[in-house]
Amino acid sequence: MKFAIALFAPSHAPSSRRALRFAQAALDGGHQIARLFFYQDGVHSASGNIASPQDELDLSGEWRTFVQQHKLDAVVCIAAALRRGVLNAEEAQRYNKPAANLEAPWELSGLGQLHEAAQMADRLVCFGGH
Amino acid sequence: MATLHLLSHSPFSDSRLSSCLRLLGPEDGLLLTGDAVYALQPGTAQLQALQLMPAGIALYALDEDLQARALHAPARAQAIDYPAFVELCGRYAKVNSWL
Amino acid sequence: MSKSMLIISRQAPWAGPSAREALDIALAGGAFDLPLGLLFLDDGVFQLAAGQQPGALQQKDLSANLQALPLFGVEELFVSSRSLAERGLDEAALALPAERLDDTALTLLLDRFDLVVTI
Repeated sequence: MKFAIALFAPSHAPSSRRALRFAQAALDGGHQIARLFFYQDGVHSASGNIASPQDELDLSGEWRTFVQQHKLDAVVCIAAALRRGVLNAEEAQRYNKPAANLEAPWELSGLGQLHEAAQMADRLVCFGGH
Repeated sequence: MATLHLLSHSPFSDSRLSSCLRLLGPEDGLLLTGDAVYALQPGTAQLQALQLMPAGIALYALDEDLQARALHAPARAQAIDYPAFVELCGRYAKVNSWL
Repeated sequence: MSKSMLIISRQAPWAGPSAREALDIALAGGAFDLPLGLLFLDDGVFQLAAGQQPGALQQKDLSANLQALPLFGVEELFVSSRSLAERGLDEAALALPAERLDDTALTLLLDRFDLVVTI
């Protein structure tokens, strides 16, 4: 089964961790992930700037490792990201902002990617809220 | 086309559960995750409402969330882990998360 | 054949970006010619109240996006009659022509879409 997984919550939200555990279980179960799409506050789950205390879960780090390890298509919605201050180097320069906090493996793209993923996957599963 | 509804908010401070209950189809499933598992708290109107759902509607709860909150799944509900969560998504035609 | 998507918008218009971002999903899908429906439920029905002045909150007017929906091919607009009644809006003229559905009709509505997203 091919899953499209959308995340609407930041890395400190329990739903972000649930989404990651779900994604891991999907791959462990022999399924595929067509795309990960981070929207609304989910863009924060892709931030490279989160400094978690040593004794706490580094969820954004875990997301990054997971995406890199499995070479997943991981998209962050550009409109949602910009208005929340999640920028890659190119956008930081374009908008003359002091810092970039989004880098590979994350790609910035539009909502069309969410629709495309929902169309090509067998199931769209969204995580967010709390 | 049966739907698996996914809830993650406490039903005591939030209207998602009650809105969801009104929209459930006779073959739908309801998966409680996060604070939504508080709906299984004994002695509550929320648990009663879940118990009163037609038998055709399956009720599930994520086991890690039950455990964290010292809650137990009543007979009406099935505690599941992540692999079972994944398989459940395949058993329903679509998954509707109440974000 | 494309899968159809129902977007359920249940947040009030000025409660943060959810109302607008739900609309953005609808407009993006419409731009790709996908079969879409949009349902206003719970506090989402407040998005359809007439005479709102978002400028008072320095917010963008959502009604422009709402009016754009048919232009983007999103013509299936629905509103929960229960949610309207609970909020004193059942006699009100709505800012958009949306089909009023009771709970039974809403259950059937969800059933006929391939995908549902509730924001």
